[in-house]
Amino acid sequence: MKRSLIILIFLSSNIFSLLEIEIIKGSDNLSKVAFVPFGIEENVNENYGEQISTLIEKNMLLFGEFENLDKAEMLSFPDSEEDFYYRDWKIMGVDYSVIGKINSVNALGNLNISYSLFNINRRIKILEGEIVGRENNIEGIAKIISNRIYEKITGLKGIFDTKLAYIVNSDAETYQMCISDIDGKNEQILFTSAAPIMSPDWSPDRKKIAYVSFENGLAEIFIQDLASGERESIQALGMTNSAPVWSPDGKSLALVVSFSGNPDIFSYSINNKRLVRLTNHYGIDTEPSWSPDSKKIIFTSDRSGSPQLYEINTQSKRKKRLTRDGNYNARGRYFPDGKSIFFVHGNDGNFQIATKKLSSRFIETLTSTSLDESPTISPNGNIIIYATKDGSKGYLGGITLDGKSRFSLPVKNGSVREPAWSPLFN
Amino acid sequence: MEPIGIFILATICQFYSCAQNVSDSVERMQYASVAGEEYLEGEKIDTNLDDKVYFDFDKSTLDADDKNLLEQYLPAIRKAKIVRLEGHCDERGTREYNLALGERRALEVRDFLIIKGVSGKKIRVVSFGEERPIKNASNEKAWAENRRVEISLY
Repeated sequence: MKRSLIILIFLSSNIFSLLEIEIIKGSDNLSKVAFVPFGIEENVNENYGEQISTLIEKNMLLFGEFENLDKAEMLSFPDSEEDFYYRDWKIMGVDYSVIGKINSVNALGNLNISYSLFNINRRIKILEGEIVGRENNIEGIAKIISNRIYEKITGLKGIFDTKLAYIVNSDAETYQMCISDIDGKNEQILFTSAAPIMSPDWSPDRKKIAYVSFENGLAEIFIQDLASGERESIQALGMTNSAPVWSPDGKSLALVVSFSGNPDIFSYSINNKRLVRLTNHYGIDTEPSWSPDSKKIIFTSDRSGSPQLYEINTQSKRKKRLTRDGNYNARGRYFPDGKSIFFVHGNDGNFQIATKKLSSRFIETLTSTSLDESPTISPNGNIIIYATKDGSKGYLGGITLDGKSRFSLPVKNGSVREPAWSPLFN
Repeated sequence: MEPIGIFILATICQFYSCAQNVSDSVERMQYASVAGEEYLEGEKIDTNLDDKVYFDFDKSTLDADDKNLLEQYLPAIRKAKIVRLEGHCDERGTREYNLALGERRALEVRDFLIIKGVSGKKIRVVSFGEERPIKNASNEKAWAENRRVEISLY
Protein backbone atom coordinates (compact mmCIF):
# COMPACT_ATOMS: atom_id res chain seq x y z
CA MET A 1 0.00 0.00 0.00
CA LYS A 2 2.70 2.41 1.04
CA ARG A 3 4.77 1.50 -1.97
CA SER A 4 1.99 2.13 -4.47
CA LEU A 5 1.36 5.50 -2.88
CA ILE A 6 4.95 6.54 -3.45
CA ILE A 7 4.74 5.50 -7.08
CA LEU A 8 1.57 7.53 -7.45
CA ILE A 9 3.20 10.66 -6.09
CA PHE A 10 6.18 10.16 -8.37
CA LEU A 11 3.93 9.81 -11.40
CA SER A 12 1.83 12.81 -10.61
CA SER A 13 4.88 15.02 -10.16
CA ASN A 14 6.01 13.90 -13.59
CA ILE A 15 2.69 14.86 -15.14
CA PHE A 16 3.59 18.43 -14.96
CA SER A 17 1.42 20.48 -17.21
CA LEU A 18 -1.10 18.07 -18.70
CA LEU A 19 -2.60 20.02 -21.56
CA GLU A 20 -6.22 19.11 -21.85
CA ILE A 21 -8.29 20.63 -24.59
CA GLU A 22 -11.31 22.61 -23.41
CA ILE A 23 -13.78 23.59 -26.11
CA ILE A 24 -14.68 27.28 -25.72
CA LYS A 25 -17.11 27.69 -28.55
CA GLY A 26 -18.45 25.16 -30.99
CA SER A 27 -20.61 25.88 -33.99
CA ASP A 28 -24.38 25.29 -33.73
CA ASN A 29 -24.55 23.09 -36.79
CA LEU A 30 -21.91 20.43 -36.28
CA SER A 31 -22.30 16.98 -37.78
CA LYS A 32 -23.70 14.60 -35.17
CA VAL A 33 -21.96 11.25 -34.84
CA ALA A 34 -23.15 8.18 -32.90
CA PHE A 35 -20.31 6.06 -31.48
CA VAL A 36 -22.04 2.77 -30.74
CA PRO A 37 -20.35 0.53 -28.14
CA PHE A 38 -18.50 -2.17 -30.07
CA GLY A 39 -19.77 -5.74 -29.82
CA ILE A 40 -17.53 -8.51 -28.52
CA GLU A 41 -17.16 -12.16 -29.33
CA GLU A 42 -16.61 -14.78 -26.64
CA ASN A 43 -13.20 -14.90 -24.95
CA VAL A 44 -12.75 -11.16 -25.37
CA ASN A 45 -12.65 -8.97 -22.27
CA GLU A 46 -16.16 -7.52 -22.15
CA ASN A 47 -14.92 -4.03 -21.23
CA TYR A 48 -13.04 -3.64 -24.50
CA GLY A 49 -16.20 -3.06 -26.57
CA GLU A 50 -17.25 0.11 -24.78
CA GLN A 51 -13.64 1.14 -24.13
CA ILE A 52 -12.72 1.32 -27.81
CA SER A 53 -15.88 3.16 -28.91
CA THR A 54 -15.39 5.66 -26.05
CA LEU A 55 -11.77 6.24 -27.10
CA ILE A 56 -12.82 6.82 -30.73
CA GLU A 57 -15.55 9.19 -29.53
CA LYS A 58 -13.07 11.19 -27.39
CA ASN A 59 -10.69 11.50 -30.32
CA MET A 60 -13.37 12.61 -32.76
CA LEU A 61 -14.73 15.22 -30.30
CA LEU A 62 -11.27 16.45 -29.25
CA PHE A 63 -11.20 19.70 -31.24
CA GLY A 64 -14.94 20.43 -31.12
CA GLU A 65 -15.46 19.55 -34.78
CA PHE A 66 -18.39 17.16 -34.16
CA GLU A 67 -21.13 16.56 -31.65
CA ASN A 68 -22.06 13.12 -30.39
CA LEU A 69 -25.23 11.23 -29.60
CA ASP A 70 -25.27 10.30 -25.94
CA LYS A 71 -25.27 6.52 -25.36
CA ALA A 72 -28.35 6.84 -23.15
CA GLU A 73 -30.29 8.18 -26.13
CA MET A 74 -29.37 5.35 -28.51
CA LEU A 75 -32.32 3.21 -29.57
CA SER A 76 -30.21 0.21 -30.49
CA PHE A 77 -26.62 -1.05 -30.17
CA PRO A 78 -25.94 -2.79 -33.48
CA ASP A 79 -22.51 -4.37 -33.95
CA SER A 80 -23.04 -5.61 -37.52
CA GLU A 81 -24.65 -4.35 -40.69
CA GLU A 82 -27.53 -6.88 -40.36
CA ASP A 83 -28.65 -5.26 -37.10
CA PHE A 84 -28.21 -1.70 -38.34
CA TYR A 85 -31.40 0.30 -39.02
CA TYR A 86 -31.00 3.80 -40.47
CA ARG A 87 -34.32 4.96 -38.97
CA ASP A 88 -32.97 4.45 -35.40
CA TRP A 89 -30.35 7.11 -36.12
CA LYS A 90 -32.25 9.37 -38.50
CA ILE A 91 -34.89 9.93 -35.83
CA MET A 92 -32.21 11.07 -33.37
CA GLY A 93 -30.76 13.59 -35.84
CA VAL A 94 -27.58 11.61 -36.34
CA ASP A 95 -25.47 12.25 -39.47
CA TYR A 96 -22.95 9.41 -39.09
CA SER A 97 -22.86 6.20 -37.04
CA VAL A 98 -19.77 4.21 -36.11
CA ILE A 99 -20.25 0.55 -35.20
CA GLY A 100 -17.79 -2.27 -34.73
CA LYS A 101 -16.93 -5.56 -33.18
CA ILE A 102 -13.98 -7.15 -31.43
CA ASN A 103 -13.87 -10.48 -33.23
CA SER A 104 -11.13 -12.31 -31.42
CA VAL A 105 -8.09 -12.17 -29.24
CA ASN A 106 -5.25 -14.63 -29.84
CA ALA A 107 -2.69 -16.07 -27.42
CA LEU A 108 -0.25 -13.27 -28.23
CA GLY A 109 -2.78 -10.65 -27.13
CA ASN A 110 -3.65 -9.48 -30.65
CA LEU A 111 -7.18 -8.18 -31.05
CA ASN A 112 -9.00 -8.47 -34.35
CA ILE A 113 -11.42 -5.57 -34.67
CA SER A 114 -13.83 -4.71 -37.50
CA TYR A 115 -15.62 -1.39 -37.82
CA SER A 116 -18.03 0.41 -40.14
CA LEU A 117 -19.11 3.99 -40.72
CA PHE A 118 -22.58 4.81 -42.04
CA ASN A 119 -23.81 8.03 -43.63
CA ILE A 120 -27.36 8.23 -42.26
CA ASN A 121 -28.64 10.93 -44.60
CA ARG A 122 -27.45 9.11 -47.71
CA ARG A 123 -28.32 5.71 -46.17
CA ILE A 124 -25.05 4.06 -47.19
CA LYS A 125 -22.06 2.45 -45.54
CA ILE A 126 -19.12 4.69 -46.43
CA LEU A 127 -16.30 2.87 -44.67
CA GLU A 128 -15.52 -0.64 -43.58
CA GLY A 129 -12.26 -1.79 -42.07
CA GLU A 130 -10.50 -4.43 -40.09
CA ILE A 131 -7.53 -3.92 -37.81
CA VAL A 132 -5.30 -6.18 -35.77
CA GLY A 133 -3.51 -4.63 -32.86
CA ARG A 134 -2.14 -5.34 -29.42
CA GLU A 135 -4.49 -5.71 -26.50
CA ASN A 136 -2.26 -3.39 -24.45
CA ASN A 137 -2.39 -0.72 -27.15
CA ILE A 138 -6.12 -0.12 -27.44
CA GLU A 139 -5.50 3.64 -27.43
CA GLY A 140 -3.20 3.27 -30.45
CA ILE A 141 -5.76 1.12 -32.28
CA ALA A 142 -8.51 3.66 -31.49
CA LYS A 143 -6.34 6.44 -32.95
CA ILE A 144 -5.91 4.55 -36.23
CA ILE A 145 -9.66 3.87 -36.49
CA SER A 146 -10.42 7.52 -35.56
CA ASN A 147 -8.04 8.76 -38.26
CA ARG A 148 -9.79 6.66 -40.91
CA ILE A 149 -13.28 7.77 -39.81
CA TYR A 150 -12.20 11.42 -39.66
CA GLU A 151 -10.65 11.22 -43.11
CA LYS A 152 -13.77 9.60 -44.58
CA ILE A 153 -16.10 12.23 -43.13
CA THR A 154 -14.01 15.36 -43.68
CA GLY A 155 -11.75 14.45 -46.60
CA LEU A 156 -8.82 15.55 -44.42
CA LYS A 157 -6.09 13.38 -42.91
CA GLY A 158 -6.77 12.34 -39.33
CA ILE A 159 -4.34 13.81 -36.79
CA PHE A 160 -5.12 11.80 -33.67
CA ASP A 161 -1.67 10.17 -33.54
CA THR A 162 0.17 13.47 -33.81
CA LYS A 163 2.09 15.09 -30.96
CA LEU A 164 2.71 18.56 -29.64
CA ALA A 165 6.02 20.01 -28.47
CA TYR A 166 5.94 23.05 -26.18
CA ILE A 167 7.91 24.91 -23.57
CA VAL A 168 6.75 25.07 -19.97
CA ASN A 169 7.97 27.84 -17.70
CA SER A 170 6.90 26.50 -14.32
CA ASP A 171 8.63 29.32 -12.44
CA ALA A 172 11.02 32.11 -13.36
CA GLU A 173 14.02 29.80 -13.09
CA THR A 174 12.71 26.59 -14.66
CA TYR A 175 12.25 26.02 -18.36
CA GLN A 176 11.18 22.65 -19.74
CA MET A 177 11.13 21.31 -23.27
CA CYS A 178 8.11 18.97 -23.35
CA ILE A 179 6.25 16.78 -25.78
CA SER A 180 2.90 15.05 -25.41
CA ASP A 181 0.30 13.29 -27.51
CA ILE A 182 -2.07 15.76 -29.12
CA ASP A 183 -4.72 14.83 -26.55
CA GLY A 184 -2.34 15.83 -23.73
CA LYS A 185 -1.49 12.26 -22.72
CA ASN A 186 2.00 10.77 -22.32
CA GLU A 187 3.74 14.02 -21.54
CA GLN A 188 7.51 13.76 -21.52
CA ILE A 189 10.06 16.30 -20.39
CA LEU A 190 12.95 16.24 -22.85
CA PHE A 191 15.12 18.81 -21.18
CA THR A 192 15.03 21.04 -18.12
CA SER A 193 17.13 24.17 -17.74
CA ALA A 194 17.47 27.23 -15.54
CA ALA A 195 18.03 29.31 -18.68
CA PRO A 196 15.47 30.03 -21.41
CA ILE A 197 14.54 27.47 -24.07
CA MET A 198 13.00 28.59 -27.37
CA SER A 199 11.82 27.68 -30.86
CA PRO A 200 11.15 23.92 -30.85
CA ASP A 201 10.69 22.27 -34.26
CA TRP A 202 10.06 18.59 -35.15
CA SER A 203 12.14 16.71 -37.69
CA PRO A 204 9.90 15.42 -40.50
CA ASP A 205 10.39 11.81 -39.26
CA ARG A 206 9.33 12.87 -35.73
CA LYS A 207 12.48 11.36 -34.27
CA LYS A 208 14.24 14.59 -33.31
CA ILE A 209 13.48 18.08 -32.09
CA ALA A 210 15.62 21.14 -32.78
CA TYR A 211 15.43 24.04 -30.35
CA VAL A 212 17.33 26.97 -28.93
CA SER A 213 18.76 26.85 -25.43
CA PHE A 214 20.58 29.56 -23.47
CA GLU A 215 22.22 27.07 -21.09
CA ASN A 216 25.70 28.28 -22.09
CA GLY A 217 24.78 31.93 -21.70
CA LEU A 218 23.81 32.68 -25.29
CA ALA A 219 21.35 31.43 -27.88
CA GLU A 220 22.57 28.10 -29.22
CA ILE A 221 20.78 25.49 -31.37
CA PHE A 222 20.50 21.90 -30.14
CA ILE A 223 19.15 18.80 -31.83
CA GLN A 224 17.75 16.23 -29.42
CA ASP A 225 17.08 12.63 -30.35
CA LEU A 226 13.80 11.52 -28.80
CA ALA A 227 14.60 7.80 -28.52
CA SER A 228 18.01 8.17 -26.86
CA GLY A 229 17.52 11.58 -25.24
CA GLU A 230 20.93 12.61 -26.58
CA ARG A 231 21.44 16.29 -27.35
CA GLU A 232 23.89 17.76 -29.77
CA SER A 233 24.77 21.42 -30.16
CA ILE A 234 25.11 22.43 -33.77
CA GLN A 235 28.31 24.39 -33.82
CA ALA A 236 27.45 27.03 -36.35
CA LEU A 237 29.58 30.13 -36.20
CA GLY A 238 28.56 33.61 -35.17
CA MET A 239 27.36 35.29 -32.00
CA THR A 240 23.81 34.04 -31.99
CA ASN A 241 22.29 30.98 -33.62
CA SER A 242 18.52 30.79 -33.52
CA ALA A 243 15.16 29.93 -35.10
CA PRO A 244 15.96 26.42 -36.44
CA VAL A 245 13.39 24.87 -38.80
CA TRP A 246 13.78 21.49 -40.52
CA SER A 247 13.65 21.22 -44.29
CA PRO A 248 10.87 18.93 -45.60
CA ASP A 249 13.47 16.22 -46.46
CA GLY A 250 14.95 16.40 -42.96
CA LYS A 251 18.50 16.93 -44.26
CA SER A 252 18.87 20.61 -43.51
CA LEU A 253 17.86 23.27 -41.04
CA ALA A 254 16.97 26.79 -42.05
CA LEU A 255 18.33 28.92 -39.25
CA VAL A 256 19.52 32.35 -38.27
CA VAL A 257 23.16 33.12 -37.66
CA SER A 258 24.24 36.50 -36.47
CA PHE A 259 27.82 37.18 -37.52
CA SER A 260 29.07 40.25 -35.66
CA GLY A 261 25.51 41.20 -34.83
CA ASN A 262 23.76 41.01 -38.16
CA PRO A 263 21.19 38.20 -38.23
CA ASP A 264 20.74 36.55 -41.64
CA ILE A 265 19.05 33.38 -42.89
CA PHE A 266 21.19 30.34 -43.67
CA SER A 267 20.61 26.77 -44.71
CA TYR A 268 22.61 24.33 -42.60
CA SER A 269 23.24 20.82 -43.90
CA ILE A 270 23.06 18.44 -40.94
CA ASN A 271 25.33 15.74 -42.39
CA ASN A 272 28.25 17.78 -43.67
CA LYS A 273 27.64 20.75 -41.35
CA ARG A 274 27.84 23.15 -44.29
CA LEU A 275 26.31 26.60 -43.92
CA VAL A 276 24.87 28.29 -47.04
CA ARG A 277 23.94 31.94 -46.83
CA LEU A 278 20.47 32.82 -48.12
CA THR A 279 20.09 36.46 -47.11
CA ASN A 280 22.61 39.23 -46.67
CA HIS A 281 21.09 42.44 -45.41
CA TYR A 282 21.98 44.87 -42.64
CA GLY A 283 18.40 44.64 -41.33
CA ILE A 284 17.08 41.87 -39.10
CA ASP A 285 16.33 38.70 -41.08
CA THR A 286 14.88 35.90 -38.94
CA GLU A 287 12.10 33.31 -38.46
CA PRO A 288 12.71 31.23 -41.59
CA SER A 289 10.39 28.38 -42.62
CA TRP A 290 10.38 26.16 -45.72
CA SER A 291 7.61 25.88 -48.27
CA PRO A 292 6.23 22.31 -48.46
CA ASP A 293 7.97 21.80 -51.85
CA SER A 294 11.31 23.07 -50.34
CA LYS A 295 11.70 25.62 -53.12
CA LYS A 296 11.09 28.70 -51.02
CA ILE A 297 11.76 29.97 -47.52
CA ILE A 298 9.51 32.51 -45.84
CA PHE A 299 11.20 34.85 -43.36
CA THR A 300 10.70 38.02 -41.34
CA SER A 301 12.76 41.09 -42.17
CA ASP A 302 12.69 44.67 -40.94
CA ARG A 303 14.49 45.88 -44.10
CA SER A 304 11.50 48.09 -44.93
CA GLY A 305 11.57 49.69 -41.47
CA SER A 306 9.07 47.36 -39.77
CA PRO A 307 8.91 43.57 -39.54
CA GLN A 308 7.28 42.17 -42.70
CA LEU A 309 7.21 38.77 -44.37
CA TYR A 310 9.27 37.92 -47.43
CA GLU A 311 9.98 34.73 -49.31
CA ILE A 312 13.19 33.73 -51.01
CA ASN A 313 13.63 31.19 -53.79
CA THR A 314 16.37 28.92 -52.43
CA GLN A 315 17.83 28.35 -55.92
CA SER A 316 17.61 31.72 -57.66
CA LYS A 317 17.83 33.64 -54.33
CA ARG A 318 15.15 35.95 -55.69
CA LYS A 319 13.13 37.63 -52.95
CA LYS A 320 9.52 38.73 -52.83
CA ARG A 321 7.71 40.78 -50.21
CA LEU A 322 4.53 39.03 -49.04
CA THR A 323 2.87 41.45 -46.57
CA ARG A 324 2.15 45.17 -46.77
CA ASP A 325 -0.81 45.79 -44.46
CA GLY A 326 0.06 46.90 -40.93
CA ASN A 327 3.42 47.58 -39.30
CA TYR A 328 4.05 44.11 -37.86
CA ASN A 329 3.76 40.85 -39.79
CA ALA A 330 6.15 38.19 -38.53
CA ARG A 331 7.00 34.50 -38.04
CA GLY A 332 5.27 33.24 -41.14
CA ARG A 333 4.68 29.59 -41.95
CA TYR A 334 3.20 28.01 -45.08
CA PHE A 335 0.01 25.96 -45.01
CA PRO A 336 0.59 22.29 -45.92
CA ASP A 337 -0.76 23.00 -49.44
CA GLY A 338 1.75 25.83 -49.88
CA LYS A 339 -0.93 28.22 -51.14
CA SER A 340 -1.47 30.29 -48.00
CA ILE A 341 0.59 31.50 -45.07
CA PHE A 342 -0.19 32.08 -41.39
CA PHE A 343 1.69 34.47 -39.14
CA VAL A 344 1.55 37.01 -36.30
CA HIS A 345 -0.12 40.26 -37.33
CA GLY A 346 0.24 43.40 -35.25
CA ASN A 347 -2.64 45.83 -35.46
CA ASP A 348 -3.36 48.77 -33.11
CA GLY A 349 -1.11 47.31 -30.44
CA ASN A 350 -2.74 43.87 -30.65
CA PHE A 351 -0.81 40.88 -31.88
CA GLN A 352 -3.04 38.24 -33.42
CA ILE A 353 -2.82 35.17 -35.61
CA ALA A 354 -3.65 35.88 -39.23
CA THR A 355 -3.70 34.09 -42.57
CA LYS A 356 -3.22 35.26 -46.12
CA LYS A 357 -3.56 33.53 -49.48
CA LEU A 358 -0.36 34.04 -51.46
CA SER A 359 -2.53 34.95 -54.46
CA SER A 360 -4.39 37.68 -52.56
CA ARG A 361 -3.28 40.83 -50.77
CA PHE A 362 -5.86 40.55 -47.99
CA ILE A 363 -5.01 39.49 -44.46
CA GLU A 364 -7.59 37.61 -42.42
CA THR A 365 -7.27 37.77 -38.64
CA LEU A 366 -8.25 34.56 -36.84
CA THR A 367 -7.86 35.36 -33.14
CA SER A 368 -9.18 38.07 -30.89
CA THR A 369 -6.83 38.15 -27.90
CA SER A 370 -3.99 40.68 -27.88
CA LEU A 371 -0.72 38.81 -27.24
CA ASP A 372 -1.01 35.87 -29.62
CA GLU A 373 2.13 34.32 -31.02
CA SER A 374 3.93 31.14 -32.17
CA PRO A 375 1.12 29.66 -34.32
CA THR A 376 1.51 26.04 -35.43
CA ILE A 377 -0.74 24.19 -37.88
CA SER A 378 -2.06 20.63 -37.82
CA PRO A 379 -0.52 18.49 -40.59
CA ASN A 380 -3.92 18.34 -42.32
CA GLY A 381 -4.02 22.14 -42.47
CA ASN A 382 -7.30 22.49 -40.56
CA ILE A 383 -6.35 23.56 -37.03
CA ILE A 384 -4.01 26.20 -35.65
CA ILE A 385 -2.72 26.12 -32.07
CA TYR A 386 -0.98 29.26 -30.80
CA ALA A 387 0.37 30.76 -27.59
CA THR A 388 -1.42 33.57 -25.80
CA LYS A 389 -1.61 35.10 -22.33
CA ASP A 390 -4.07 35.61 -19.53
CA GLY A 391 -2.47 38.06 -17.11
CA SER A 392 1.05 36.83 -16.55
CA LYS A 393 0.12 33.22 -17.34
CA GLY A 394 0.78 31.84 -20.79
CA TYR A 395 -1.57 29.23 -22.24
CA LEU A 396 -2.31 27.73 -25.62
CA GLY A 397 -5.35 28.51 -27.71
CA GLY A 398 -6.67 26.75 -30.78
CA ILE A 399 -9.01 27.36 -33.66
CA THR A 400 -10.30 25.26 -36.52
CA LEU A 401 -9.94 27.08 -39.81
CA ASP A 402 -13.43 26.14 -40.95
CA GLY A 403 -14.67 28.26 -38.03
CA LYS A 404 -16.39 25.32 -36.33
CA SER A 405 -14.54 25.49 -33.04
CA ARG A 406 -12.35 27.48 -30.68
CA PHE A 407 -10.58 25.78 -27.81
CA SER A 408 -7.88 26.30 -25.21
CA LEU A 409 -5.22 24.06 -23.71
CA PRO A 410 -4.71 25.45 -20.22
CA VAL A 411 -1.66 24.36 -18.30
CA LYS A 412 -1.97 23.13 -14.72
CA ASN A 413 1.23 24.73 -13.42
CA GLY A 414 3.12 27.74 -14.69
CA SER A 415 3.08 29.04 -18.22
CA VAL A 416 3.14 27.16 -21.49
CA ARG A 417 4.21 28.54 -24.85
CA GLU A 418 5.71 27.92 -28.27
CA PRO A 419 3.59 24.97 -29.38
CA ALA A 420 4.93 22.96 -32.31
CA TRP A 421 2.67 20.41 -33.97
CA SER A 422 4.40 17.21 -35.06
CA PRO A 423 4.16 15.92 -38.62
CA LEU A 424 1.93 12.92 -39.35
CA PHE A 425 3.30 9.54 -38.33
CA ASN A 426 4.55 7.74 -41.44
CA MET B 1 -4.11 -6.98 -47.37
CA GLU B 2 -5.31 -4.06 -45.34
CA PRO B 3 -5.46 -5.80 -41.94
CA ILE B 4 -1.81 -6.84 -42.24
CA GLY B 5 -0.72 -3.35 -43.19
CA ILE B 6 -2.61 -1.87 -40.29
CA PHE B 7 -1.27 -4.51 -37.93
CA ILE B 8 2.28 -3.51 -38.86
CA LEU B 9 1.37 0.13 -38.42
CA ALA B 10 -0.20 -0.52 -35.03
CA THR B 11 2.85 -2.52 -33.92
CA ILE B 12 5.23 0.20 -35.09
CA CYS B 13 3.12 2.81 -33.30
CA GLN B 14 3.35 0.83 -30.14
CA PHE B 15 7.06 0.24 -30.49
CA TYR B 16 7.55 3.90 -31.23
CA SER B 17 5.77 5.03 -28.10
CA CYS B 18 7.82 2.58 -26.00
CA ALA B 19 11.06 3.71 -27.57
CA GLN B 20 10.29 7.24 -26.50
CA ASN B 21 11.11 6.83 -22.86
CA VAL B 22 13.38 9.82 -22.93
CA SER B 23 15.44 10.39 -19.86
CA ASP B 24 15.05 13.74 -18.20
CA SER B 25 18.42 15.27 -18.73
CA VAL B 26 18.32 17.81 -15.97
CA GLU B 27 21.11 20.27 -16.26
CA ARG B 28 21.10 23.43 -14.26
CA MET B 29 23.73 25.89 -15.27
CA GLN B 30 24.14 29.50 -14.42
CA TYR B 31 23.37 31.55 -17.48
CA ALA B 32 25.64 34.41 -16.41
CA SER B 33 28.36 33.47 -18.82
CA VAL B 34 28.97 34.47 -22.39
CA ALA B 35 30.59 32.12 -24.88
CA GLY B 36 32.12 30.07 -22.09
CA GLU B 37 33.54 32.96 -20.08
CA GLU B 38 32.36 32.69 -16.51
CA TYR B 39 31.89 35.83 -14.44
CA LEU B 40 31.84 35.51 -10.72
CA GLU B 41 29.36 37.78 -8.98
CA GLY B 42 32.10 39.19 -6.76
CA GLU B 43 34.08 40.55 -9.68
CA LYS B 44 31.27 42.77 -10.94
CA ILE B 45 32.19 46.44 -10.66
CA ASP B 46 29.71 48.64 -8.83
CA THR B 47 29.50 51.97 -10.68
CA ASN B 48 26.66 53.61 -8.76
CA LEU B 49 25.11 54.37 -12.16
CA ASP B 50 21.77 53.18 -13.52
CA ASP B 51 22.71 49.90 -15.17
CA LYS B 52 20.02 50.04 -17.86
CA VAL B 53 19.13 52.01 -20.94
CA TYR B 54 15.59 51.82 -22.28
CA PHE B 55 14.06 51.73 -25.76
CA ASP B 56 10.80 52.39 -27.62
CA PHE B 57 8.77 49.49 -29.00
CA ASP B 58 10.46 47.83 -32.00
CA LYS B 59 13.24 50.44 -31.85
CA SER B 60 16.94 50.24 -31.06
CA THR B 61 17.91 53.90 -31.18
CA LEU B 62 19.53 55.66 -28.22
CA ASP B 63 18.14 59.01 -27.13
CA ALA B 64 20.08 61.90 -25.57
CA ASP B 65 19.48 60.66 -22.00
CA ASP B 66 20.79 57.19 -22.87
CA LYS B 67 23.91 58.66 -24.47
CA ASN B 68 24.42 60.91 -21.48
CA LEU B 69 24.24 57.90 -19.14
CA LEU B 70 26.65 55.88 -21.29
CA GLU B 71 29.15 58.74 -21.28
CA GLN B 72 29.10 58.71 -17.47
CA TYR B 73 30.15 55.05 -17.72
CA LEU B 74 33.29 55.79 -19.73
CA PRO B 75 35.76 56.32 -16.84
CA ALA B 76 34.64 53.08 -15.16
CA ILE B 77 34.69 51.21 -18.48
CA ARG B 78 38.33 52.25 -19.04
CA LYS B 79 39.23 50.47 -15.80
CA ALA B 80 37.03 47.40 -16.47
CA LYS B 81 38.24 44.24 -18.15
CA ILE B 82 34.89 43.28 -19.64
CA VAL B 83 31.75 45.21 -20.54
CA ARG B 84 28.74 42.96 -20.77
CA LEU B 85 25.73 44.28 -22.69
CA GLU B 86 22.54 42.26 -22.40
CA GLY B 87 19.69 43.19 -24.76
CA HIS B 88 16.04 42.59 -23.89
CA CYS B 89 12.58 43.20 -25.36
CA ASP B 90 9.02 43.36 -24.13
CA GLU B 91 6.68 40.44 -24.71
CA ARG B 92 4.87 41.93 -27.69
CA GLY B 93 5.54 40.56 -31.15
CA THR B 94 7.33 37.33 -31.98
CA ARG B 95 10.02 35.64 -29.90
CA GLU B 96 12.64 35.05 -32.57
CA TYR B 97 12.30 38.56 -33.95
CA ASN B 98 12.67 39.90 -30.41
CA LEU B 99 15.82 37.84 -29.95
CA ALA B 100 17.30 39.66 -32.95
CA LEU B 101 15.93 43.01 -31.75
CA GLY B 102 17.52 42.55 -28.30
CA GLU B 103 20.84 41.90 -29.98
CA ARG B 104 20.36 45.00 -32.14
CA ARG B 105 19.76 47.10 -29.00
CA ALA B 106 22.89 45.78 -27.31
CA LEU B 107 24.88 46.44 -30.50
CA GLU B 108 23.61 50.01 -30.62
CA VAL B 109 25.09 50.53 -27.14
CA ARG B 110 28.31 48.75 -28.17
CA ASP B 111 28.67 50.95 -31.26
CA PHE B 112 28.18 54.10 -29.20
CA LEU B 113 30.85 52.98 -26.73
CA ILE B 114 33.27 52.17 -29.57
CA ILE B 115 32.72 55.64 -31.05
CA LYS B 116 33.61 57.01 -27.61
CA GLY B 117 36.90 55.14 -27.72
CA VAL B 118 36.14 51.89 -25.90
CA SER B 119 37.90 48.87 -27.38
CA GLY B 120 35.43 46.50 -29.04
CA LYS B 121 37.47 43.58 -27.69
CA LYS B 122 36.30 44.40 -24.17
CA ILE B 123 32.63 44.26 -25.08
CA ARG B 124 30.47 41.14 -24.85
CA VAL B 125 27.01 41.29 -26.37
CA VAL B 126 24.18 38.87 -25.64
CA SER B 127 20.44 39.00 -26.31
CA PHE B 128 17.73 37.30 -24.33
CA GLY B 129 14.93 38.65 -26.52
CA GLU B 130 11.70 38.63 -24.50
CA GLU B 131 12.75 35.61 -22.43
CA ARG B 132 13.97 37.47 -19.31
CA PRO B 133 11.51 40.22 -18.45
CA ILE B 134 12.05 42.32 -15.32
CA LYS B 135 8.30 42.75 -14.82
CA ASN B 136 6.14 39.80 -15.76
CA ALA B 137 3.00 41.80 -16.52
CA SER B 138 1.18 42.91 -19.66
CA ASN B 139 0.92 46.68 -19.43
CA GLU B 140 2.73 49.76 -20.79
CA LYS B 141 4.74 50.29 -17.60
CA ALA B 142 6.04 46.72 -17.50
CA TRP B 143 6.77 46.74 -21.24
CA ALA B 144 8.75 50.00 -20.94
CA GLU B 145 10.88 48.51 -18.15
CA ASN B 146 11.49 45.31 -20.08
CA ARG B 147 12.76 47.01 -23.29
CA ARG B 148 16.30 47.52 -22.11
CA VAL B 149 20.00 46.89 -22.38
CA GLU B 150 21.65 45.93 -19.10
CA ILE B 151 25.22 47.07 -18.65
CA SER B 152 27.61 45.27 -16.34
CA LEU B 153 31.30 45.82 -15.90
CA TYR B 154 33.78 43.21 -14.69
